Amino acid sequence: MDQLKKVWRFLRSMKFAVILLLILAAACTAGSVIPQGQPTAWYTEHYAQQAAGAVMLLGLDDVFHCWWFVALTLFLCLNLLLCSVLRFPALLRRMREGFTPARAIAAWDWAPLAKLEGEPERLFAKLGFHSVRSGKMAVHLPDGNSGAAEGTEADEAETDRVEADGAETDRVETDRLKAAESADGRPVRYAVKYKAGLWGAWLCHLGMLVVIAGFGLGQMFKSEYTVYGVPGQTKPVGDTGYELTIDDFSIALRDDDTVDQYTSEITVTDTAGGEQLGGSASVNAPLSLFGMKFYQNSTGWAATLETWKDGKKLQEDLLCAGEYAAIADLEGLAVVFNAFYPDYAEDESGQPVTLSSALKNPGYLYTIYYHDQVVGMNVLTAGEKITVEDYEFIFRDPQPYTLIQVKRDPFRYLAAAGGLLVLCALILAFYLYPRELWAVQDEDGVWCFGGRSAKAGLLFAEEIGRAWADLKKEEQSDGK
Amino acid sequence: MGSDRFLQVENGLFTAVMVLYLAAMVLYFIFLAVKREKAGKAAGYVMAAGFVLHTAALVTRGIGAGRLPLTNQYEFATSFAWGICLCFLIFLWKYRFQALGAFVTPVIFLIIGYAAMQSREVRELMPALRSNWLGIHVSTAIISYGAFGVSFAVSLMFLLRRNMKDSAFWQEHIPDERKLDAISYRAVSLGFLFLTFVIITGAIWAERAWGSYWSWDPKETWSLITWIIYALYLHLRLSRGWKDRSAAIFAVIGFLCVIFTYIGVNTLIPGIHSYA
Repeated sequence: MDQLKKVWRFLRSMKFAVILLLILAAACTAGSVIPQGQPTAWYTEHYAQQAAGAVMLLGLDDVFHCWWFVALTLFLCLNLLLCSVLRFPALLRRMREGFTPARAIAAWDWAPLAKLEGEPERLFAKLGFHSVRSGKMAVHLPDGNSGAAEGTEADEAETDRVEADGAETDRVETDRLKAAESADGRPVRYAVKYKAGLWGAWLCHLGMLVVIAGFGLGQMFKSEYTVYGVPGQTKPVGDTGYELTIDDFSIALRDDDTVDQYTSEITVTDTAGGEQLGGSASVNAPLSLFGMKFYQNSTGWAATLETWKDGKKLQEDLLCAGEYAAIADLEGLAVVFNAFYPDYAEDESGQPVTLSSALKNPGYLYTIYYHDQVVGMNVLTAGEKITVEDYEFIFRDPQPYTLIQVKRDPFRYLAAAGGLLVLCALILAFYLYPRELWAVQDEDGVWCFGGRSAKAGLLFAEEIGRAWADLKKEEQSDGK
Repeated sequence: MGSDRFLQVENGLFTAVMVLYLAAMVLYFIFLAVKREKAGKAAGYVMAAGFVLHTAALVTRGIGAGRLPLTNQYEFATSFAWGICLCFLIFLWKYRFQALGAFVTPVIFLIIGYAAMQSREVRELMPALRSNWLGIHVSTAIISYGAFGVSFAVSLMFLLRRNMKDSAFWQEHIPDERKLDAISYRAVSLGFLFLTFVIITGAIWAERAWGSYWSWDPKETWSLITWIIYALYLHLRLSRGWKDRSAAIFAVIGFLCVIFTYIGVNTLIPGIHSYA
């Protein structure tokens, strides 16, 4: 039973979160340094045998999808969830009961951060505290001054512990409160601002959970397809039941021949209902139709391959670079259109290159297979033809094709909402965290100020001191 | 005035900025080494002048290039140095201690020196970079990295503070360790908030441009690693044993991650951010 309790405590502890984050950071480092998704042969070729073995054994060739990376992420989610659930009651209690003059003054070390005669509300207003509560409290101000910084540092450590363990802090404060609640009747002013900021770290953890959940669900349920072709072609969008027609594809060039924009005009048809929707998709401006997003993803070159035999055209195929045509007339004969060079030339080693992206001297790199045996491979230029036995092949009409990526990820909004929540929570945690300011009147009628904040208490103490000094200066100049 | 003229002016301004930052660094060293208060004050004015000219240089380049000057190694490096200078001046104004400059100016000078070594050629943007998100994403990165630069300098100061003889000069001009720790925390908070914003805006932009808001691209991954390192810093500060010295060491490591994310990833690891 004790062992179970220990495991339970460990699973929800910050120590576990820190260990997980460190391992995840190390895994991310490995994933960014080791090329991902390569075949095994690549690692054995580029790394020492033992290193390549370790990469494959640990799944470092695909770190971000391997089981242990997913397991670590799930453990992090569990830790965040447990931490959030268990801290919730303590935070709620602190929100309801934690911000009272009695608690604040009881936890005070009685070191005044500022002293003011007359109306204390002036300093409250100067520091942005507008709802000031007034009353009387049983307090005893000692003569000595133990130092402002010490007091606020103690406060900071105390509120920091709220983040770590709310229950402990409450216990400490309650003990001090008893000491402060003996009868007396000294005038007191108290104000608190940004109470909601207490939830900053908690909401940040919740936001992280939502982000991870959105990302994970997206990975599981998103669908992704690619459709490519030249204007006039209609192709199915995977198994969605929709068809995509490429109406037009244009590449806008600048004066220096660099690409300004790629734009595809497309029409999507619901094959079941016949409904058609269309529009243009360009880089950075995807098109949303039928709950799917259509991205202008890539482009390349396509060409028409003519196959002739005995002076008769057997077939005509429109091929994008990388595609092949099986020749129906002879089983096992196929022509692969490997690559296209719009401004073809050969470099010093005889390798094909293109001198520019302009269509000046088209060159078609092809390979011909017959029953998986290479029977021909070369670069064909305009006007040339390939002859294999009785067959002749001609490439013509090169034209750019467009590649449209089609995506549907219903959980991306969940991830976005999580991200927004994290951002808002960080603003709460770092800038709108709770600050308390109080003033107690001493025997001479002077108001002694104290304050504490959930973060950076030392700097808040200085802020109070600066506001006090500014106030005095202003009042002196007004008096003059 | 033609765009080439603007770029020539920017070239001159950039050189002047380098000279001013160098002068400020020397003055800050004199301030600390010889304990001359006037040198510290003068260094502050020189830094402010350098910042004004730096801003003018960035604006001039933006006009000359006809776009935001945030798209290549040179432009981001000079903007990065500008971001650190901006955060430094804000922290200087808020916490009022000149000695911070002696630790920040070398960082600024190194980064602007790196910028000086990069090509200043203005190129047209590739379609993926032609987005309004570019300005939001990169400008928030500048603020984030700038704040982390300040936290790095403050943390270095913290780590060296213990080795300094506790003279009246140090007591007057260098805050005690607790305050340095608090200031470093404020700088990390600012940087962390903006880094989160950087990652979120980057994800939104990536979703629009590449169809995927997270692709485990090396730049994305290293941004996440940096985010994790600073998240660890923030969590470990809550543990008593990690406050102060250990936190300062973590802030230094965090900034090294920032530098690697910016320079190392671009130069050593290929990815879809390789143009940056």
